[in-house]
Amino acid sequence: MKKLFACFALLFGLSSVAHAADTPVDLVRDTSRQALEMLSKDNGKNSAKVREQLISMVTPKFDFQRMTALAVGKDWRAATPAQKQQLAKEFETLLVGTYSATMTRFKNAQIDIKPNVLLNNEGREAVVKSEVTLPGSAEKKPINVDYTLYKTPQGWKVFNVTVEGGSLVTIYRNQFGEQVRKSGIDGLIKSLQDKNSGAKAA
Amino acid sequence: MKRLLVVGGCLLLTACASAPSHPQDPLEPLNRAVYRFNDTADKAVLKPVAQAYQKVTPQPVRTGVGNFFDNLRDVYSAANHTLQGKAELALTDVLRVSFNSTFGLFGLIDIATPMGLKSNKATLGDTFAHYGWQNSSYLVLPLLGPSTVRDGSGILISNSLEPATGVFQTHTQATTARVLDAVNTRERLLGLETVVEGAALDNYSYVRDGFLQMRAHQLGLPQDKRQQEEDLNIDELVDDPQDASAPAANDASGAAVSPP
Repeated sequence: MKKLFACFALLFGLSSVAHAADTPVDLVRDTSRQALEMLSKDNGKNSAKVREQLISMVTPKFDFQRMTALAVGKDWRAATPAQKQQLAKEFETLLVGTYSATMTRFKNAQIDIKPNVLLNNEGREAVVKSEVTLPGSAEKKPINVDYTLYKTPQGWKVFNVTVEGGSLVTIYRNQFGEQVRKSGIDGLIKSLQDKNSGAKAA
Repeated sequence: MKRLLVVGGCLLLTACASAPSHPQDPLEPLNRAVYRFNDTADKAVLKPVAQAYQKVTPQPVRTGVGNFFDNLRDVYSAANHTLQGKAELALTDVLRVSFNSTFGLFGLIDIATPMGLKSNKATLGDTFAHYGWQNSSYLVLPLLGPSTVRDGSGILISNSLEPATGVFQTHTQATTARVLDAVNTRERLLGLETVVEGAALDNYSYVRDGFLQMRAHQLGLPQDKRQQEEDLNIDELVDDPQDASAPAANDASGAAVSPP
C-alpha cells in the first residue's frame, strides 16, 4: 500500500514522451531523465516554478481522455461527448493537483527503466516496466512502476500507471461508478468539480 | 482487545451480505465502521505520536528500529517459506536472520541485503494463499488497517505463535515492542494520508481498491475479472467518432480486439 502512494508523484513526474523518442521505452526514459533534471534544480525557493515546468513538460505525454475512460469503465459509453470532455478535464486537474504536490520527494530517486517492452494489442499497446529506488528512505526494495502506453499519430502516450500492481487509474473505478449510480454522469462531474475546487481552497 | 475485535469481525462474515459495491467487500458496512474508528484513532493518537517520534529521533535510529522488527519478520518468513515448500527462499531468510542477528548487532543493521540476500517476506496469509485460499474478502483490522479475512487470520495465528517470545521475556516487553513497531511504521507513512485525502472521492473505497489490487499482484493472482473485461475493451471504449485521440483503433485490427 505504502509503495502505491509513495510513487504517486511519479505519475506526473516521470513518464512522458520526448519528441525525439519513437519507442515507448525511449519515451519513458527520456521523460524520467528530464523530470529528474528539473527536480534537481529545486532549491526550496523555486519549488512552485519547478512544479509548473514539470507539469507542462509531463502532461502532454499523457492521454487524459483515454485515462478517464479507463477510470470510468463501462459508464463511459453512456456519456455525451461534452460530458467526456468535462470528465477528462476534471480528472486531469485532480491527478495533476494531487501528484505534482508530492513530486519533490522524488528528487533523489533512481529510476531503472527496463529495456524489454511488453507489446499487446498487435503492437499498438506497450507496457514499460521500471524500478524506482529512493535512497535514504526506509524502503529497501525497489518499487515496481509500470507504464501502459498506446500509439497515436502524435507518438506514444501513457494512459495507465501501476505501482506494485495497483493502478493509479482504475483505483477510481468503484468510486466513479458509485457516483454515477447515485447521481448520474453529471453527478460525477459535479463531485469532481467540488473536489477540485475544495482542494484549491485548502 | 485487538484480537477480540478481529474475531468479532470474522463472526460478522456471515451476518452482512447485502449488495456490496465491490465483489470482494461483502463486509463493507463493518469495514467502513472500523475504517472510521482507525481514522479517528490515527488523527488523535498514532499520527501525533509518530510526528513527535520523528522529531526526537534521528533517521539512523528509526532505520535501526525498522531493521530490528524486520529481522523478527524474517523469522516468520522463513517458517512460512518452509511451509510453502520454498526451500531456497526459506534458506535465504534463515541466512538473513543469522547474519543480521550477529554481525548486524541483533538486527539493528541490515547487512544481509547489501550482501545480496534479498528480503522476500512471506506471511501466514501468503501461505494460506499458496495452498488455495486465493480470493478472500476485504477486512479492515482495528488499528492495523487494510487486510483480508485470510491475511487477518494469518496475523491472528502468527501473533499467538510469537517468535518474539524468545526475544522478549515478559508480556509487557512484547507489548511495548509492538507499540514501538507501530509508531516506527507509522512514521514511515507520514504524509500518506494527505495523498489519499487529496486524491480520493471516497477515502475508504480508494484505500480498499488500491490495497486489493496490490495484494492480488503480490500473490500473482489475476485482477478482478470484471475489471479485466473492461480493460480489454479500452480501444472500443474510446473509439468514438468525436474522439480524435484514438485513431489507431480505426484500422482493421480494432475490431479483432473486441470479442463479442
